[in-house]
Amino acid sequence: MARIRIYQDDAIPSPTKRTWMAFSSNPFALIGLWLLFVLVFVMLFGELLAPFPPELQDPNALLLPPSWDQSGTVTHFFGTDELGRDILSRVLHGTHLTFGLSLIVVVAALIIGFLLGSLSGMMSGIKSSILGHLLDALLSIPSLILAMLVVAVLGAGLENVFWAVGLALVPQFVRAIHQAIHEELQKEYVTAARLDGANSLQIYWYVIMPNVWDIVIIQVTLALSVAVLDIAALGFLNLGAQAPSPEWGAMVMQGTEHFLIAPWTVTIPGVAILITVLAINLVGDGLRSALSPQRN
Amino acid sequence: MTWYLVRRLNLFIATSCVMLMVLFYVTHLFPVSPAVALSGIADPSPSQQQVITQAYSLNSNIISQFIAYVQNRLSGDFGVSLTSHHPISQELFVVLPASFELAVIAGLIALVVGIPIGVLASFNHHKMTQNVIVATTLTGYSLPVFWIGLMLAHWFGIQQDWLPVSGQINLLYEIKPVTGFLVIDSLLASKQYGMSAFYDALQHIILPAVTLSILPLTVVIRITRSAMQNVMSQTYIRAAEARGLHTGQIIIKHALPNALIPVFKQLGVMLGPFASYAILVEVSFAWPGVGYWLVSGIYQRDYTVIQGGVFVVALLIIFLNILIDVIHSLVNPITKKELYGQN
Repeated sequence: MARIRIYQDDAIPSPTKRTWMAFSSNPFALIGLWLLFVLVFVMLFGELLAPFPPELQDPNALLLPPSWDQSGTVTHFFGTDELGRDILSRVLHGTHLTFGLSLIVVVAALIIGFLLGSLSGMMSGIKSSILGHLLDALLSIPSLILAMLVVAVLGAGLENVFWAVGLALVPQFVRAIHQAIHEELQKEYVTAARLDGANSLQIYWYVIMPNVWDIVIIQVTLALSVAVLDIAALGFLNLGAQAPSPEWGAMVMQGTEHFLIAPWTVTIPGVAILITVLAINLVGDGLRSALSPQRN
Repeated sequence: MTWYLVRRLNLFIATSCVMLMVLFYVTHLFPVSPAVALSGIADPSPSQQQVITQAYSLNSNIISQFIAYVQNRLSGDFGVSLTSHHPISQELFVVLPASFELAVIAGLIALVVGIPIGVLASFNHHKMTQNVIVATTLTGYSLPVFWIGLMLAHWFGIQQDWLPVSGQINLLYEIKPVTGFLVIDSLLASKQYGMSAFYDALQHIILPAVTLSILPLTVVIRITRSAMQNVMSQTYIRAAEARGLHTGQIIIKHALPNALIPVFKQLGVMLGPFASYAILVEVSFAWPGVGYWLVSGIYQRDYTVIQGGVFVVALLIIFLNILIDVIHSLVNPITKKELYGQN
């Protein structure tokens, strides 16, 4: 349909564009977005960027401090740990374990949670109520405890962390999508569409879903930060990634032995976790405030 | 109201039942025989085996097994620990108060510090201050708690040597448990040690409690600030101003009670993450609470400890969630209507 421009006014931006404009006017959110781009880049190409293999032990450089210290060298930029392994290389290699694994877990949990949440959200009456109680029960077990329960059954190890964290995240997705769909179903525009003769599938996909996507996006950012923190926490508790692995939480745990004489072995992987989660939260927060004027 | 309470009670029972079913299912997944996983006796003699089989009706179908399981668990019989051979319920009585003590003090710190900061922040519309608040609260959300615990222990415990970094009290003191809360017990034991035991217990709790309070503190500041801004723009506040009331009076008597309702609601949402964080804090400060006990249970493959710990924590969270829900709708009756509309 051609729009006839009678008046000299500006074109009205589309909702997506308006969201982007609100998002990009927030400097914090943009910083977070750039950080996320850098993290994805490091995740994909970290192995090429790293100066040393993560398990290479240099017996001449045990517990070397970072390069900004008096006795540090620039060959080991972040210093080395008690076995002479280069911390910078380990942090770079660890990106795809901590951040990459959390991305995969969130995508898997999103797919399952999305299907279950849509099904239960479109249902009504007793079936919906039973599912709601089931989800309440699963949600009442904190995600870390649920993950620990799975590890207790399957045993420690990085593969099991996938199942543990995934299982802990699915109920949150199901719950958020269930509630969003349920809330939208009560509204009058859905009744209007139903009176126009739309069947349930059409109502679900064409009428309700456009209003639920932004909740899904926000939930993804929330789940991503929970996933990173849980994977790192399991690594720290020695229930996730095991000892030589450069997973960041496991690196913190390995560093605690020499914490007193070499605090950088704990500080640097911890800062890496902090920056990752902060970047995700900055983007999530920016998205939430960018989407909220449209929701209210 | 009665009908509403009945519905909440109903929800509590249904949710707990589902939680029990999940745990019952998990016991069959443990890589030991169900009799061992349920009772915690590693090498049962034939007579013990018979008692276990009878108590958990292991020879009948799955439904009567589940009923027997629920009966045992609800009567407080969690079996014995596989490693220490003490009854789980006895161990729970020791570790639960320690966790409560830590959680209550951390929660109090968050509320006492967070609400005034949130209120003050809501009056400042300067761009710079707002940015600082957003940045600090988001950082507070994002901190890996085990790492910040180690950092605080390193700075304040070891480099400055101000505070002890592990345990609940110095081993020199033998405090008889009366209430289970060591801070109170050590005060009660003042005849024996004077105030020194009390100060020692206080010093031990500062670092873990401050570490644990970071997450709720940031959430409380954020929610108080936005709720306060919301409330202060409403007409009844303007009416109070027009009547010439003092600003302090308006804030404390008129605005704050309404602004605290969403804060209270958020406390319920936060219980789960808070419990996860509490486990990590307990492990990093060697605090002898449920979390520390549970994690060492996992290390030692002590299946009865794992079940007992998860059961108690989950049940507490379900209960507190519903309690907060009920109190929330008591102080704010509008929400009840929404609940009826939904289902």
